[in-house]
Amino acid sequence: MHAVEYFEVECPEPLGAEYYKKITNDVLLDHNLIRMIHKLHIYVDPGVPIFIAVGVLHKITTLIRVRDFAAVNALAGKIMLVLSEETYLAPMLKIFLARFGQDHVEQSDRFTVILRDVSVDAREIEDIVVADPSESVYKDLIYAFKCIAPEGFRIRREQYTKGKFFFVASEDTLSADIGALVQSKFAKMGESMP
Amino acid sequence: MMLVPVTYKGGVYRHNEIMDLIEDVGGYIVQKHVMASEVVLLCFMPKDDVEVLRTAGKPLGGEVIDSPLVGTEIAVVSMSLEIHHLPHPSCDIAEYLRRLGAKSNMVSLARGPGKRIAALNDEERDVINEHDLAIYLLGNFENCIEKKMPFLRRGIDVPIVLCGGPNKEALQRIIDPPVDGYVGNVGRFMHRTKESEELAKLDEVIAEITRVLEKKRIALAKDPISVSPARLMDLIKEKVPRIHEVTSPTPLTVQMDGLRVKLPYDPFAGEIRTIEIEDGIKIGNICELTPSRMRDYIMLKIRPFSETNIVV
Repeated sequence: MHAVEYFEVECPEPLGAEYYKKITNDVLLDHNLIRMIHKLHIYVDPGVPIFIAVGVLHKITTLIRVRDFAAVNALAGKIMLVLSEETYLAPMLKIFLARFGQDHVEQSDRFTVILRDVSVDAREIEDIVVADPSESVYKDLIYAFKCIAPEGFRIRREQYTKGKFFFVASEDTLSADIGALVQSKFAKMGESMP
Repeated sequence: MMLVPVTYKGGVYRHNEIMDLIEDVGGYIVQKHVMASEVVLLCFMPKDDVEVLRTAGKPLGGEVIDSPLVGTEIAVVSMSLEIHHLPHPSCDIAEYLRRLGAKSNMVSLARGPGKRIAALNDEERDVINEHDLAIYLLGNFENCIEKKMPFLRRGIDVPIVLCGGPNKEALQRIIDPPVDGYVGNVGRFMHRTKESEELAKLDEVIAEITRVLEKKRIALAKDPISVSPARLMDLIKEKVPRIHEVTSPTPLTVQMDGLRVKLPYDPFAGEIRTIEIEDGIKIGNICELTPSRMRDYIMLKIRPFSETNIVV
């Protein structure tokens, strides 16, 4: 697992910064996002009020394949899949139904899927790509930062480009020079805004 | 007869004898929980007879604990129902209060979040004022608490205990006029309280609430209420059979100077007013019954001796 190289919370109230560091850590851990973060800088100033999170993500190369969450067993005339978790069950079934047709796919219970009379071997089934986490990472990150930002900060602006993101939230209208402030936070991490 | 709030914890086996004993010595059972083979009785006991209960419970493996929060209804005021405040810390604190015998109600504000827009509407104000005490759970920044608190406390007459992220001294410095109690370093957090220092913080919240309620009790004792709320609870249970059909865990919620009767106001208020307590004294003579802002319940406030000239 990759480590977070840089993680700082900047706030005019030192105790507030400490609490927000804990909150950020808890939320990112809960959402299973901490392993994706390479660098993260958060700036909160309740006086303005403003919340800015800027960060760089690790390159996400992992694809979720059937073998990652299911044991595939070839039996006489059928292939039985025993799932260890349900998270990717729906997208997997969708792929199977489209590829093999409804008559060949059977789900006997929550954790068991049987493919009957299909012309592929078990190895091929194991290699089928079911999901690409990088597609949803942006959505997940924004949701996480909505939880982290102080409540009532409903005016938001966010961007995710080339593995870098920023999230700005405030209770009031965002000022026109917000881009410069975001840029200065990227600079603190030794990065530039994409 | 001075009644003190206590909790009896013991086995289910022969617990009926304990209940009989409490009633025989003039005590009142406020709430009874049966959990598997354990029974918990939240009750008021005559002060001199607490030792009798302790002795009677010993052979049955029961223990008697002083519970100053029994017979109180506390509002846990959370800024919203969003994930920012729930389930931690609001639910953690509300649950801890219940464990120690208080009846806690969560009051989430419609316009709680936001420094500039935070406000309290009349319904929220009235619901909070129906409780014995309100705990305000605010956030982590001094700046926000200082700006928001004057709006959030407007019209609140019950004692307020303020919990927030800054330390206690900082909270005391920024709140003007002062509230009744402060607990620092309990602001917004996003994990369950299970570490020992976090549990110690919850104990600190309880200690502060107990201190504030004790102050309120002393103030009430200077002009005592005309009848014990626990006695009225027993009386209503006896005279209004419909109360037994209410599915709420506490159909009659005992407060320090009143009761919340979980029956609709219009059909039942008149009936309750005419219930005779003793020697021709009716509930209506010494209590004020009003419609509660919480659903269509009845709020029953017992008037003090100085107003009624009666103590029963």
